[in-house]
Amino acid sequence: MLKNSGVLCVTLVALLLAGMLRPAAASTSAVTQQPSSDLKPIKVAFRRITESQYRHTIADVFGSDIQINARFEPEKRDEGLLAIGTPQLSLTSSGFEQYFALASAISEQALSETKRDAIVGCKPADTARADEACARKFVAKYGERLFRRPLTDVEVAVRLKSASVGAQQSSDFYGGLKLALTSLLVAPEFLFRVETAEPDPVNPQQYRLDAYTKASRIAFLLWDTSPDEELLAAARSGAIHTEAGLKGQLTRLISSPRYEQGARAFFTDMLQLDGFENVVKDPAIYPKFNQSIADGAMEQTLKTTIDLLITKKRDYRELFTSNETFINRPLASVYNVPYLSAGNWVAYTFSPSSERAGILTQVSFLSLFSHPGTSSPTKRGIKVNEIFKCEPTPNPPADVDFSKVKDSTNGTIRGRLLDHMENAGCTVCHRRSDPPGLALEHFDGLGQLRTTENGVPIDVSADLSGVKLVGAEGLAKFLHDDPKVPACLVRNVYAYGVGRKTGIREEDYLADQTKIFANNGYRVPDLMVQIASSPEFFKVTGSSGARTAALTPAAATVQGVHP
Amino acid sequence: MSFRFDRRSVLRGMLGGTAVYMGLPVLDVFLNGNGSAYANGAKLPVRFGTYFWGLGLTDTPTGGTRWVPTKTGPGYEIMPELESLSVVKDKVSVFSGFRAIADAKANQVHWSGHASILTGIAPALASRFDGPTFDTRIADAIGTSTRYKMIDVDASLSRHPVSYSTRTGTTFASPETTALGLYTRLFGPGFQDPNSANWKPDPSIMLRQSVLSAVKDQRDALMAGVGKADQVKLDQYFNSVREMENQLAVQLQKPDKCEACVVPAAPNEGPRSASVDVVNANTKTMAKLLAMGLVCNQTRVFTFVHTAGSSETYVAGQSKIYHQITHDEPTDAQLGYQPETSKIAGMVMQAFGDFLVEMNAIKEGDGTLLDHMLVMGFSDTGYAKIHSIENIPMFLAGGAGGKHKAGQHIHTAGDSVTRVSLTAMQLVGAPVGEFGTGTMKTSRPISEVMA
Repeated sequence: MLKNSGVLCVTLVALLLAGMLRPAAASTSAVTQQPSSDLKPIKVAFRRITESQYRHTIADVFGSDIQINARFEPEKRDEGLLAIGTPQLSLTSSGFEQYFALASAISEQALSETKRDAIVGCKPADTARADEACARKFVAKYGERLFRRPLTDVEVAVRLKSASVGAQQSSDFYGGLKLALTSLLVAPEFLFRVETAEPDPVNPQQYRLDAYTKASRIAFLLWDTSPDEELLAAARSGAIHTEAGLKGQLTRLISSPRYEQGARAFFTDMLQLDGFENVVKDPAIYPKFNQSIADGAMEQTLKTTIDLLITKKRDYRELFTSNETFINRPLASVYNVPYLSAGNWVAYTFSPSSERAGILTQVSFLSLFSHPGTSSPTKRGIKVNEIFKCEPTPNPPADVDFSKVKDSTNGTIRGRLLDHMENAGCTVCHRRSDPPGLALEHFDGLGQLRTTENGVPIDVSADLSGVKLVGAEGLAKFLHDDPKVPACLVRNVYAYGVGRKTGIREEDYLADQTKIFANNGYRVPDLMVQIASSPEFFKVTGSSGARTAALTPAAATVQGVHP
Repeated sequence: MSFRFDRRSVLRGMLGGTAVYMGLPVLDVFLNGNGSAYANGAKLPVRFGTYFWGLGLTDTPTGGTRWVPTKTGPGYEIMPELESLSVVKDKVSVFSGFRAIADAKANQVHWSGHASILTGIAPALASRFDGPTFDTRIADAIGTSTRYKMIDVDASLSRHPVSYSTRTGTTFASPETTALGLYTRLFGPGFQDPNSANWKPDPSIMLRQSVLSAVKDQRDALMAGVGKADQVKLDQYFNSVREMENQLAVQLQKPDKCEACVVPAAPNEGPRSASVDVVNANTKTMAKLLAMGLVCNQTRVFTFVHTAGSSETYVAGQSKIYHQITHDEPTDAQLGYQPETSKIAGMVMQAFGDFLVEMNAIKEGDGTLLDHMLVMGFSDTGYAKIHSIENIPMFLAGGAGGKHKAGQHIHTAGDSVTRVSLTAMQLVGAPVGEFGTGTMKTSRPISEVMA
């Protein structure tokens, strides 16, 4: 009896402790022991907006006639995506300088004599003096569009002060507004997407993303821009928190012609086309290469991708096999085909004898992932694995013994790479990275077709983990049928939207999404809507730093923080 | 303090008595007691910069060195790959035998070497540094009185802009990558000619300052409920805002007369190619502009990248890039080194020599600009073929205002590279007594080169 009661006691104490401690630990902070409903809103991420997001937002809010001449801060790619790397970045002083100058230039244009009436929407009592009522309307309206949420009273007040001082100094109401607008445009709340979480009313011990953060996530995913008025209204009313409200907005966004702009931004990031900004080729070796080839190659890939996957809503995997594309005059010279149109671009289908097969055989992929003077099966292979299969290749080990690697100025590049594959330090990676690239070796460093190198016929057979294939066509078919390829796209869409790398806890979710993607015929627009309507897309995970001091234990437990 | 008060009063007067909040920093030009009394022309300021090139120099394990002089101390002999330094040899100290020590961490190829030199910490990952680079500490110490705290330049014309200057370890400076870009930054809008006869403060600058105060006022509200990594990001953002404020404050000052400052003409757009001749030409043009920017007091601190760690440069017409050649080319049994690699290393070093010659070409006071500056030249590797981070070539060039006993060769048998970094910091007057972590932690500068 005693023994039993002892056990009971221990059990009770344990239950009590568990029951009592959990709410305490889960409450706002262990320090204050406040009830859980007192969870304070937290900022879970600061994602620096990209150049294209900046440009799209300014065009949406002030009109596409606003000139934006500035050098933007470099972005950073991580886990294959700029959308994952850039959120880790801040602003350097030279970057801030650029944004500051740009903000003044935009304010000048937006409030120029020709535009101000349409933009401001109210008239001051006296244009030579400050007018608080009109300035307030202006600051509140544009503040909300730029910060993607309503401004707090203090945030409005500091801008009104700028507007008042500016109007006084310049004896011009609009001079004051320009200062107020400039201060909105250089504010961190505009230059960074501040993602905020609030206590979930359904479960007050947990956080959920607030309505404006949700609105931003879907606007940036589908339109690559800040939320429009309608989306902000859905956030304001809370409709976006409901299934119907969210669905309604997603349907509206995906049906809009502006979805193409969002899809372009996604594929530019995923296909790493930003690399074209700085691609260099040795003119002594590739005399045909110039800036118009680089621009054309990037546009060709985007046009092809958008037409196939967004306009025609075809199976994603056809990206590797379809030979339907578009060319312009400069590209026709690289592809060595006649250009018979008077227009800038023309639809074109590569013939079977061209050896071209899908996106990997376009000039963009082939030239981007090559050296200035040669092709590079290794670079191309690494990128096939990274971009389309989400399989990164580690950096080469430092202690590789290169002394065994022979110099091969004769024959084909295959010989040199075979040396790598025989080298113990190199073989693990090169066995994975080189074969896809070797299959593409009929295309030189610019993407021109060739069949020999140094007078020796090029062998384009490859062995991909036991699967033997030949040439670009064989590789295309292999990728078309590889289940890792659609799974990788699903991961990329999700990671692009949430702005961070995916973790082990999301594997089941991603696997489920991939199944749905397959069942829906691998259609990309459907995939984007499907991901944006899933609760996981809005799950609060916290930024890399939010798990530390500033974040409450409660938040930490509901967050499912990923390393 | 009274100076600050006076400046405010002056500025307030110019604004007609309107109360505009201005965060005016204490400018060095008003602090004449600390040895940088530029205002009365008594002493010229000391400038500091780093100069980086990728892929090291040739020093094969079998003994075929192409850059390490035999003689140590003053009067070292010019080795083949250092040929370009011969003109300014007496103003350059050579440091050999110094190494980056990764301790338990892996050698991140083309990354650990310069990360160690610049931060004193062997990096855990190849995508970030694990601390701020020491050039930012020097900028904080000596760079606050000029328009720019520092200027970052990347002459490599490679695929992505390269800078190894960072305050956070993740966000690296966005460098000027073209001569025209550098020219515009230094001498374009906002530049005030120190020798102009009719200088007037621009009242619009004060209005621009008010914009920045509005942003800064929101700092505390923004910082609430923010995780640690995001706090670091925001700190950097607000640091950038402060630097902008400093720029504006400097522009409200009448610049001191400066005889050596001759505003250069805008450069033409050069060709865009990563071939070594084009990169070298770009380096020379940008060095010339930078030198004048320093003399004209636009900045006192800079970082300059000739080519990145994983250098993309090549010799025009050669199908392999330099980087590939360093790995692939066999060591010539008779010569004891890689002949082609060594030849290209010499070309790459030509640019460093040219850079220093440009700095030395400008007369300033009783010497040259180079005499009043310190440039630390260094690379990412020692012997590139094997990604060695031992014996990374390092140089200190320039007189540092008489503090650097230049023209020496210092050799050690494997001391940490951080000793050279610490020496550089101390030579230009940064208040740093210790640098680096783990085995690379040091408080011992190289006293032989310090006057």
